[in-house]
Amino acid sequence: MLQPHSLLWHYLWIGPQVLQAALVVFLWRSGLHRTYPVFLTYLAFGATEGFILYGMDVLPWVSAQMFWEAFCVGAVIEGIIKFCVVGELFFQLLRSRPTLAKVGSRLISGAGASLILLAVAVAAYTPIVHRQAVLMSRAHILLQSSYVIDCGLALFLFLFAAHFKLVWDHRAFGIAVGLGIVWCEHMAGWALSANGVLHDKSYLLDFLNMATFHVCVLIWFYFLLVPHKVTTTSAVSLPENNLDIWNRELERLLQQ
Amino acid sequence: MILAIVLVIAAIVALGTILRLATIQHLQVSRERAGQVGSIRPIDIEAFRNLVDSAEDEYLRRRLSPTEFRVVRRTRLRAMAAYVQAVGENAAVLVRVGELALASGDPRIAGASQQLVNDALLLRRNATVALARIYFALAWPYSSFAAVRVADRYERLSGSAMLLGRLQNPAVAVRLSAPRAR
Repeated sequence: MLQPHSLLWHYLWIGPQVLQAALVVFLWRSGLHRTYPVFLTYLAFGATEGFILYGMDVLPWVSAQMFWEAFCVGAVIEGIIKFCVVGELFFQLLRSRPTLAKVGSRLISGAGASLILLAVAVAAYTPIVHRQAVLMSRAHILLQSSYVIDCGLALFLFLFAAHFKLVWDHRAFGIAVGLGIVWCEHMAGWALSANGVLHDKSYLLDFLNMATFHVCVLIWFYFLLVPHKVTTTSAVSLPENNLDIWNRELERLLQQ
Repeated sequence: MILAIVLVIAAIVALGTILRLATIQHLQVSRERAGQVGSIRPIDIEAFRNLVDSAEDEYLRRRLSPTEFRVVRRTRLRAMAAYVQAVGENAAVLVRVGELALASGDPRIAGASQQLVNDALLLRRNATVALARIYFALAWPYSSFAAVRVADRYERLSGSAMLLGRLQNPAVAVRLSAPRAR
């Protein structure tokens, strides 16, 4: 069952792409493409790329060289879109908090620049493990570096929000959680692939990557399409005990 | 191989952190739905001002031997750090209080809430920077820094919270700073 080109392998490759394409349609119909245009682009591109690569993998006349060339081109374009998705989520987080816009943009720029340097260093220190298929090794290294940046940026988003006690919008939260899970797992998976840790069993990592992505697409379905409870709209008063203390202290202050 | 292991460990740590923070956020939202926002610790702003007063430091520097001064200075810095941490935590609570109050239909309350959120976020940011500088100063006790901005910002925040408190409940006055101990 856990073999390349098994039924499960075909499902895990195609299933999430079909779900992604369906999610694009649902998001478009529900008008969410106006709120998350870059994420929608990410989903649409991911689905298209997945179908093309799947077709290239199963068609006998497509050479390995052609497949890995297309894979690398797709990875580069997807990498750029993922950067923009992070920017979109960060914008959503700071949209109603202009006080943090300047410091936030400086911090995320600094984090992004540091992560790019780290990714370059990681790529430089990764050996070419498949001497007969150099392009495949390079593709693995490219993805390893790409996910180092993505994983770092996802972590930055959560740490920034937690530090300033910023609460995400329900949908943005779901997108961020899904991306955080898939990017962290992919970083580990592609690091193992790029360094040739599992040797001839490396296809097991493909199963892990595809299964994780499948779970994350389902997470996006849940957060983007299932209606959530609306938070109370009544104003919340400050804790009563503290109000009493402050009132007492204020009275004492006024009597001075 | 070592690089792969390092990256896998980093990915596991990052994933664990993300999931933990996501769970905390989820629980926080649930608590807020139940009306629990968190509590605020009153802070003696004058005592804090005394701690960050550079004239006091200068006086101690002149009166004490270098070794004694380093010990006293580090003790004062630790106390300062405790104050700043409390200020930062209060600011974080007020961010949430202000953001929840923003949902109010009353434009006066919404305006006061926005002001409170802005001030609290600025204070949270300043508290972070001040804390970093305090820890830096702990390593080099002779270095000087200005944590006074935190105190000023905290007083402003106290004013914003008082205004919001009055608008939400005119019968009750609100203050964040504890008065000086008598």
